[in-house]
Amino acid sequence: RQGPEPPLYHVLPTCVECIVFNDQYLTCMWGSKEMPTANYSLYYWIENHMPVECKHYLQEEGINTGCWFNHSEIIQFRTFYIHINASHEGRSLVIPTKAMKLQDLVKPAPPVNLTIQNISNNQLQLTWDSMYNKPRCLEYAVRYKSNKDTRWTEHLASGKIFSFPSVDYEKYYTFYVKSKINQYCGTTQLWSEWSVPVFWGNNATDQGLGQRTPTGACPLPFCRVWVIFMPRIPNPSKNFDELFNIHQGNFPEWAGVSKDVVESFKPNYSESFCYVSELPPKEGSLPLWGGHDKPRAPPGRSSAPASSSSPGLILSKKSYVGV
Amino acid sequence: MLQPVFFRSVFGILPLFIVLLPVNSSTCVMENTTVIREKYENILSHDIELLENMSEEYRDRCCRNKRHETPSAFFCNDTQEIRSLQNMACDMLKFFYKKKINKDFRWQTARVSCMTLEILRCRCDRESKNRKVCILLTQPSKDTLGAQDPKKKCCQELCELKETIASLRSCWNKFEKEIAR
Repeated sequence: RQGPEPPLYHVLPTCVECIVFNDQYLTCMWGSKEMPTANYSLYYWIENHMPVECKHYLQEEGINTGCWFNHSEIIQFRTFYIHINASHEGRSLVIPTKAMKLQDLVKPAPPVNLTIQNISNNQLQLTWDSMYNKPRCLEYAVRYKSNKDTRWTEHLASGKIFSFPSVDYEKYYTFYVKSKINQYCGTTQLWSEWSVPVFWGNNATDQGLGQRTPTGACPLPFCRVWVIFMPRIPNPSKNFDELFNIHQGNFPEWAGVSKDVVESFKPNYSESFCYVSELPPKEGSLPLWGGHDKPRAPPGRSSAPASSSSPGLILSKKSYVGV
Repeated sequence: MLQPVFFRSVFGILPLFIVLLPVNSSTCVMENTTVIREKYENILSHDIELLENMSEEYRDRCCRNKRHETPSAFFCNDTQEIRSLQNMACDMLKFFYKKKINKDFRWQTARVSCMTLEILRCRCDRESKNRKVCILLTQPSKDTLGAQDPKKKCCQELCELKETIASLRSCWNKFEKEIAR
């Protein structure tokens, strides 16, 4: 037993998508063949003008699903309104749409004629052309990857040129470019489709022809194999075990340096400290340091520093103590 | 005897000439479009973007309802983009004195207006008011008034300003696209 047909507004498409393709034509699509069977009609206008019906409908299985506008019907930089009626068996409903700015709905054609030039050592230059009639209004994105990379890298470019600074001649690169209206000519997030790719580099590395096996076996009949015997690089960690375990970190002893040489490196003079202290403070103020905060002399044969507890900008120096 | 009649007739006509003078007597000095484009892209576009961001912050529900009722009074006419930009910039200067609008928003609006006029080498009809606003921008701000809370009741001036900003941005885009041929 079939129930009553649901209201038309429950199943109508809820939005209309308009795109200006390369400033050449405009399409506004509102549905697909899954839509309920109805008679759809589109009307469009700008401010202070009368609505005009679509002259060229796009259809799927006999149902109007969109409208196609030619170049002369595209009105940019004016608020563009559309109105879609859906009528069926005497009932009529309107699909709500927003006012649009067609200059913000431009999708350029993808760039063409991608060309790569080798301009200097390890530097490539990628250039391309645009099918858009105002290329100064475009910005670009370049996407590339080598056969050794796992991810694509993407860079923006304001002009029709991209420099790739450091290329590996052993790798095989793939480049794509896409374009978009820049901020000076519109406000859009619509990128073009990616261009046809261009390739550069050595595509033979994956075939294994250039590889040399660790054993030195050569697949070609006339290649020459050089075998160089290199001593094994010793592992130093074992030798240092004795330094720490036997000689308790005494490096000269572990290294076998004689005691006389060790003694000769010890200083045979003493140098006194030159203490600098602040001027006598005013009553109530604190000195920079008290007597217990004076710097201590390192252990060794140096004279004991003289006490200089009274604050003052005094430079005191003791005479040298000879050995 | 005819002299008083002569002077009376001459001075009687002169006020009529003044009344009949066209209101829109603003002038623009011809400027190279390449120079305009460079100044717009390198300087003004960034200030316009900032102004648009500020405009987006001050959402007002009533603007959504009124947008279709009162569409923008300014069109960016074909082949007259510079004149259209001049009209929009001059109109935007009036918002500088609208205390219901946030002070920073008003000042940035005035900045964009003055820069637009400077880049286009244009001036507005009411010369004294134009110069005063653009001169005030170069002085330390004494303006301490202005709404700090954007969420107030429907403010028609705010809605109008948002529309004008959008129109100005759109007209600059049109100018750029036109000279990009």
